[in-house]
Amino acid sequence: MFRKSVLIGTALIFLVSAGSVYAASARDYISIVGSSTVYPFATVVAEQFGKTTSYKTPKIESTGSGGGLKLFCAGVGVEHPDITNASRAIKKSEYDKCQKNGVKEIVEVKIGYDGIVVANSKKTAPMKLTRKDLFLALAKDVPNPKGGETLVPNPYKTWKDVNPSLPNVKIEVLGPPPTSGTRDAFVELAMEGGAKKFDWIKAMKKKDKKAYKAICHTVREDGAYVEAGENDNLIVQKLDANPNALGIFGFSFLDQNTDIIQGSFVDGVQPTFDAIADGQYPVSRPLFFYVKKAHVGVIPGIQEYLNEFTSDKAWGPDGYLSEKGMIPMPDEERAQFQSDVKALKPITMK
Amino acid sequence: MNNPSSQPNGLNPQGRRAIEIVNAGLARRYRKERRFRLYGISAILASLLFLSFLFGSIISKGYSAFQQTFIQLDIFFDPAILSQESLSTANYPGIVKQSLRQMFPEVKSRQDKRMLYRLVSSGASFQIRQMVLDSPEMIGQTLQVWVIADDDIDMLEKGHFDLEAPEGERRIKDIQLAWVDRLKKESRIEKRFNRILFTAGDSREPELAGILGAVAGSFYTLLVTLLLSFPIGIASAVYLEEFATQNRWTDLIEVNINNLAAVPSIVFGLLGLAVFLNFFGLPRSAPLVGGLVLTLMTLPTIIIASRASLQSVPPSIREAALGIGASKMQMVTHHVLPLALPGILTGTIIGMARALGESAPLLMIGMVAFIVDVPGGFTDPSTVLPVQIFLWADSPERAFVERTSAATIVLLAFLIIMNASAVYLRKKFERRW
Amino acid sequence: MTVDVKTTAGVSGIGQTGRILYDRESRETVGEPFVEGARMTCRGVNVYYGDKHAIKNVALDIGRNEVVAMIGPSGCGKSTFLRCLNRMNDTIDTCRVEGEITLDGMDIYGKEVDVVPLRAQVGMVFQKPNPFPKSIYDNVAYGPRIHGLAQNKVELDEIVETSLRKAGLWEEVKDLMTHPGTGLSGGQQQRLCIARTIAVSPEVILMDEPCSALDPIATSIIEDLIDELKQQFSIAIVTHSMQQASRVSQRTAYFHLGDLIEVGDTAQIFTTPRHQLTQDYITGRFG
Ligand SMILES: Nc1ncnc2c1ncn2[C@@H]1O[C@H](COP(=O)(O)OP(=O)(O)OP(=O)(O)O)[C@@H](O)[C@H]1O
Ligand SMILES: [Mg+2]
Repeated sequence: MFRKSVLIGTALIFLVSAGSVYAASARDYISIVGSSTVYPFATVVAEQFGKTTSYKTPKIESTGSGGGLKLFCAGVGVEHPDITNASRAIKKSEYDKCQKNGVKEIVEVKIGYDGIVVANSKKTAPMKLTRKDLFLALAKDVPNPKGGETLVPNPYKTWKDVNPSLPNVKIEVLGPPPTSGTRDAFVELAMEGGAKKFDWIKAMKKKDKKAYKAICHTVREDGAYVEAGENDNLIVQKLDANPNALGIFGFSFLDQNTDIIQGSFVDGVQPTFDAIADGQYPVSRPLFFYVKKAHVGVIPGIQEYLNEFTSDKAWGPDGYLSEKGMIPMPDEERAQFQSDVKALKPITMK
Repeated sequence: MNNPSSQPNGLNPQGRRAIEIVNAGLARRYRKERRFRLYGISAILASLLFLSFLFGSIISKGYSAFQQTFIQLDIFFDPAILSQESLSTANYPGIVKQSLRQMFPEVKSRQDKRMLYRLVSSGASFQIRQMVLDSPEMIGQTLQVWVIADDDIDMLEKGHFDLEAPEGERRIKDIQLAWVDRLKKESRIEKRFNRILFTAGDSREPELAGILGAVAGSFYTLLVTLLLSFPIGIASAVYLEEFATQNRWTDLIEVNINNLAAVPSIVFGLLGLAVFLNFFGLPRSAPLVGGLVLTLMTLPTIIIASRASLQSVPPSIREAALGIGASKMQMVTHHVLPLALPGILTGTIIGMARALGESAPLLMIGMVAFIVDVPGGFTDPSTVLPVQIFLWADSPERAFVERTSAATIVLLAFLIIMNASAVYLRKKFERRW
Repeated sequence: MTVDVKTTAGVSGIGQTGRILYDRESRETVGEPFVEGARMTCRGVNVYYGDKHAIKNVALDIGRNEVVAMIGPSGCGKSTFLRCLNRMNDTIDTCRVEGEITLDGMDIYGKEVDVVPLRAQVGMVFQKPNPFPKSIYDNVAYGPRIHGLAQNKVELDEIVETSLRKAGLWEEVKDLMTHPGTGLSGGQQQRLCIARTIAVSPEVILMDEPCSALDPIATSIIEDLIDELKQQFSIAIVTHSMQQASRVSQRTAYFHLGDLIEVGDTAQIFTTPRHQLTQDYITGRFG
């Protein structure tokens, strides 16, 4: 038994040291982290890239935009990821962290748009909402319905309470939890957009940004908004089972399930591929990825991966990414980013 | 039995014969026993019901994933396309598209052509490429080749689409239905056993996605876990049980081990991130690290099971060995361990089964990732079976639903095999004394 | 420790032979616990199980080529005392042994003493039969194997056979060598354990009620074995059978609630006990 333990001990030390040696040596595949929204698109590109080139297929972890940037900015070297996906632009604080850790040159690539849809079951009529309706229905505190520039805890129980033209059904919205990028984008684009319709709230933005954000971005917690986890498929199933409920998720899930659910009109526009692409649909956000320039040329295949991603057969209007539900950018914007990527032009933030 | 003379006078203080009192109470005693049996049976029935419900729903959802739709195409291995460049980078999608255009010459508009191309999977061109690379003499010939159908066609064939719905709301349009019908008439559509599911790594195309990568990842991860946790677990249990004197320190260790067994598994992931990745600098997403993390998680289980099973070895066996002059080590290795082994193995297998089903701690060390290439070693990036299930469950494509269930079936099969082998080992090695 | 008769102690009664008996309250050892050239000597032995004082200040010698019988009511500490002699009590965490016990002049509780050779030298047959869950052959061969007593298989076979013959089991099991030892009857198991113990040729053998599960035939085989072993070795035997004690032993020690009450020549103890408690016990008025 003692001999055995000694053996195991040696094996353990060997394993660990073998691993360390490995870590110190080169990595021959691209390591990508980041947003779960970009994940379904990045993975398609990665797979295509792996199958059509002699490079290994990149490894993609779905860590969320914030988590991805944290890993990305941790430093330069094979143990750190080469690329991070994000469903929002990099923040100043994150950029500074990158700089501090020696990640000096970061190339930003905008890849397209994602629409956030508010959908319900096909068994009922589509909802015709405005962003103001969404704000009033889902914010924790809303302007006093009796008038005046004060806030009261959200009193609305039914959609009709919010807006007389809406049906008289209970407000019940299934959506992602605060850790999700979809949620961030939703509160920013839909709720904040709705809150701005109140002039006095809009005016607050200049005076007291913090309070303004708190009003716009705080979702009610009295049960009308149900956090349904990160799994959007689950929300789709729940909507099918409960025709009165609305769900919030990315456009690709609507695209894949058009026979079960329908997107609500927001400000008179239904979330269709074209409406999102030409910017009519208000609740859409750009998607990005960020490349560590220092790794290009060190980790094999990064340049080629970028080429694949920015080729028209991938992110173009007829590309395979659009088939997966990503909304492509207009031609000029694509051309712009394509040339930026070729030149590996790093971003600067002051 | 009914012999009153077995007691001095067959009477008790109340003046009744004892046997009368016994008989009077007998009915009540048996009623109690019957009631208890009833409770037991209904409890077992209830759990069987839940179990069959679980299995039923997973299997009914997942069994169809074991089949995959294929379409037969007349592929012309066009020398014009295939001789231009080197064979491995030729325009194989072009060959597939050409073949489709020739089979449906009436399709003219760009829009319709795109829909036509979508009948077959993007994997078809890789299939053709492989064929050409294997036997280049095909070039110039026209062959009938079965290629993988697109996941939408597969779903259609398996009846997962509601064809009553208006055309605009369907993923499959009327024109595609007409093509599929024609292909069917020519018996060019066929469902076959889905080999890809077992021979491919992950993919974003459901029809090309397989579990082999995840199974290999689970294998390497569990191998590391087993190789570390089994000997370490036994050594710790033997030391604590047979060698350590009972004092405050061993009590403290025991309490801690029991606590560790109840710690949420994600905590081990955090620990692994801090120690193995950040401190030792081991690679992210590697089975080696996954195995180390799962070792931490399963060790308490194995130690506790091993200790319990060591404790159940009767002390008389130990005395017998020591009494002849065996050293403590000999006593343990010759007598106690062999007797405790079935229990230890059971505990280990149960611990390993738990490790096999674990995904949360692996999130922290980067094993929740999209990995296409099947891992071939302990430091290759890889994922594990439950993570694969989790990732597929979160994918928008409809066809991943049944694949999620299929992967779950495979995971359950592995778990059942492991637990059954635990039972078998126990039965086989269990000795009575 | 003195064995002087306390003349001041109350004289409580007159025995059948008209001798004066020691009072029931007296706990000093009566008789002669020491012998010339003893194999093992015990001086001031105290054993505690946690707080329980199980053996109280016992002194006793085990001579060469003699059989010492230990008798006494159940729970009086016979097994406990016996287990001190080959340090089997070490295996019980709560057990604490004080005093001095020597084997051939060497303190067996000394710091540098290795229990492995000690136990090879002082063998033990336990109260409850405890064969290994292995084959009959392996049970007997285990000791010789770990101590390397046999050079080869032939020698080992020989040791196994003679040990089983001496224990009177050979005829019954000679065709069952590969069968599990645990499959034997209780009495057969006990004889197997005896064979297992004598297979390592110990020089002192401790037997804790070796015949309690045996029929008269097997018992007499064991008693013959004891007689034979006595030619070379020393034996301490715990027994509840007064007849057996008088048949096999030269000296007898009577224990009572952890005290060694009386030691003496076996014939004398059974015919003319000097302590009231001893007399109560052997005449069946006690225990
Ligand atoms: N392992 C133990 N832990 C605590 N107390 C014990 C232990 N073994 C024995 N004792 C106690 O020590 C005393 C002596 O026990 P021992 O087994 O020596 O008696 P004995 O004379 O052999 O009795 P018997 O004739 O019934 O075998 C008893 O009171 C018993 O309760
Ligand atoms: Mg006893």
